[in-house]
Amino acid sequence: MASYSSRVKKDVARWVEQGFIDQIAGDKIARDVEQHERRSLSFGNVLAIMAALLLAAAILVLIAANWEAIPRLVRVFALFAIMLGGYVGGAVLKNTGHPGIAEAVWIVAAATFGGAIALIGQMYHLSGDETAVILVWSIATGLAAAALQSGPLTVSAVGLGIAWLFFAGFDIWSNKEVPLSYPLLMAALWAVSLWTGSNAARHLILLSLVFFVVLLSFDYDLLNIALALAVVSAALFALAVYFPGPVERLVQLDGRFPVHCLIGFLTGMPILQVWLTDDTAAFAISAVVIIAGIVGALLLAGRESRGFRWIAYLGFTLELVIVYVILAGSMLGTAGLFLTAGVALGLVAFFIIRIEKRMNAPAIEGASA
Amino acid sequence: MMMTGWRLLAAALAVALLQIGFLSWTIIGRAAILQNGKEITLETAPVDPRDLLRGDYVRLGYTISSVPTNSITDINGRETSEEGPIYVLLKRQPDGLWTLQSASFAKPATPGSPDEAVIRGLVREGWNLGPDTSISADYGIERYYVPEGEGLAIEQGMRDEARAFRILAAVDDEGTAQIKALMDGDKKLYDEPIY
Repeated sequence: MASYSSRVKKDVARWVEQGFIDQIAGDKIARDVEQHERRSLSFGNVLAIMAALLLAAAILVLIAANWEAIPRLVRVFALFAIMLGGYVGGAVLKNTGHPGIAEAVWIVAAATFGGAIALIGQMYHLSGDETAVILVWSIATGLAAAALQSGPLTVSAVGLGIAWLFFAGFDIWSNKEVPLSYPLLMAALWAVSLWTGSNAARHLILLSLVFFVVLLSFDYDLLNIALALAVVSAALFALAVYFPGPVERLVQLDGRFPVHCLIGFLTGMPILQVWLTDDTAAFAISAVVIIAGIVGALLLAGRESRGFRWIAYLGFTLELVIVYVILAGSMLGTAGLFLTAGVALGLVAFFIIRIEKRMNAPAIEGASA
Repeated sequence: MMMTGWRLLAAALAVALLQIGFLSWTIIGRAAILQNGKEITLETAPVDPRDLLRGDYVRLGYTISSVPTNSITDINGRETSEEGPIYVLLKRQPDGLWTLQSASFAKPATPGSPDEAVIRGLVREGWNLGPDTSISADYGIERYYVPEGEGLAIEQGMRDEARAFRILAAVDDEGTAQIKALMDGDKKLYDEPIY
C-alpha cells in the first residue's frame, strides 16, 4: 500500500501539471507532507522489536530457572553488562541511523533490569514484594523512556504500570484494594509520552484509566462511581467536540480523544444499568440515555473517525443484548428468541448501514448545507 | 526535536548507571543484613501440604507466622487490623529455636539481650483482633529458592513429621529478616553465600 505522502505527491504532481498550483507551492506541499508524516514502523523494525522481546524473554527464563551452574555474582554482572551495553549501544545505533534497532536494543536492556530484580529476589530468597517490583520496573522504564526520548519504552512503562494495577488490585486470597496512586503514575507517564511523542502510550493510559475506575467502582461504590465515569466521560466528550483545538493541544491524540470518552461512557452506563435491573423504570431510563448518548455521539463526532463509529455500533449492539437478556429473555420461548434476535440484528444492521452511508457522503451534504 | 549525538549517549550512560546503581544498592543492603544481622533459628511449619512447591521455590511457613492476639501489646481496642508492620519480639529457647515472646504494631526498642531479637512482619487488613484468636504475618522469608530439580525432595522431607526443618535467618536493627540457611535438624542443607 502506498504511503500517504507518496499518494499526495502524485496528486500534487498532477495539480502542478494541470496548472491548479505552481511548482513552488507544489514543492512546499510535498515537503510539508513528508515532514509531518508519522513514521510508521517498517517491517524490519517490527521484526527487530519482536526479536528483542524474544531475547528479553530468554533472559527472564534463564533467571527463572535458577541456573546454579554460574556463580551468582557472575550472573549479576552479566546482566549489568547487558544493561550497560543495551542502553549505550542503542544510543550509538540511533546516532548512526538505525533508530528501529536502537529501540529494540533498549527494550532488551529495560527487560534485563526487571530480570535483574528477579535474580536478586532469588539470590536472597525475598518474598512478598512482587507488586513493588513491578512498580519499580515501570518507573525505571519510564525514566529510561524520558531520558532516551523513546516511544516504545514509554509504551513498555505504561504496560508495566497496568501489570502493577493488576497485581496490586487483584488477589484471590486477600481482598486487596485498588492502588489509589495509579492515576499519579499514569499522569507522570502521560507527561513522558508527550515528550517522547508516543500516542500509543496515551491511548493505552486512557483505556487503563477507564479500567481503573471500573475496579474502583467494584471496590467502593458501584452506583456512584459508575455514574461519575459516565458523566465525566460525557462532559469530556462535549469539551472535545466543542473546543477541539485546545483539547487536542492538551491530549495530542490525533483527534481520537472522543473515542476514549465514548468508551468511558459505554463502560460506566451499562454497569449502572445492570445495577438498576430491579427497578424497571430506572432501567428503561438508563437504556434510553445510553441509546440517546450513542446516537448523539455519532451525530457530533461520528464523521471524524471510523474507529469511533465502530465503538458506537458495538456499544449499541451490546446495549440491545443487555435489554434483551434482562427484559425480554425470560418471557419468550425458543422460537420467539430466534425471531427477536433476528429482528434485533436486522435493526442493528439497518442502523449501521444508514449511518455509514451518511458519514461517507460528507461532500454532498456539506454542499447542500 | 530529536535527541542525538553526545547528549543521547550521555543520557543512555546515565540511565544504565542509575539502574545498575539501584540494583547494586539493593544487593549491598541485602548482603549487609546477612553479614551483620543477628542470627536467629526459626521452626518452619507447613503452609499448604498440596502446594509447597511453586515453581522453583519452596513455600515456607513458620510457627511465628501466626501471631496470637493475646500476645499483641498495643491493640488498644481496635477490632480489625489495618495493613501495616507488626514487630515480634523473639527469645532464644534452650533448644536453640527462637520463639515468639510478644508482638506490637509500634516499633519497640532494640532489645539489649543477646538472646532476644525483633523481627518485622507485614499484617494485611481485616484480621480479627478479638481475644484468643491469632492473625497471620508475613516476614518476607516465606520463599526458599532451590536448585533446579531439588525442590521435590525438600517438599517431601517437610511433610515427614519426624524431620524438623529449620531456617537460619539474619535480622537487622530494623527487623528486616533474611534467610541464611535451610537446616534439617542441626545440619545445614544449603548455606547461602553472602553474594
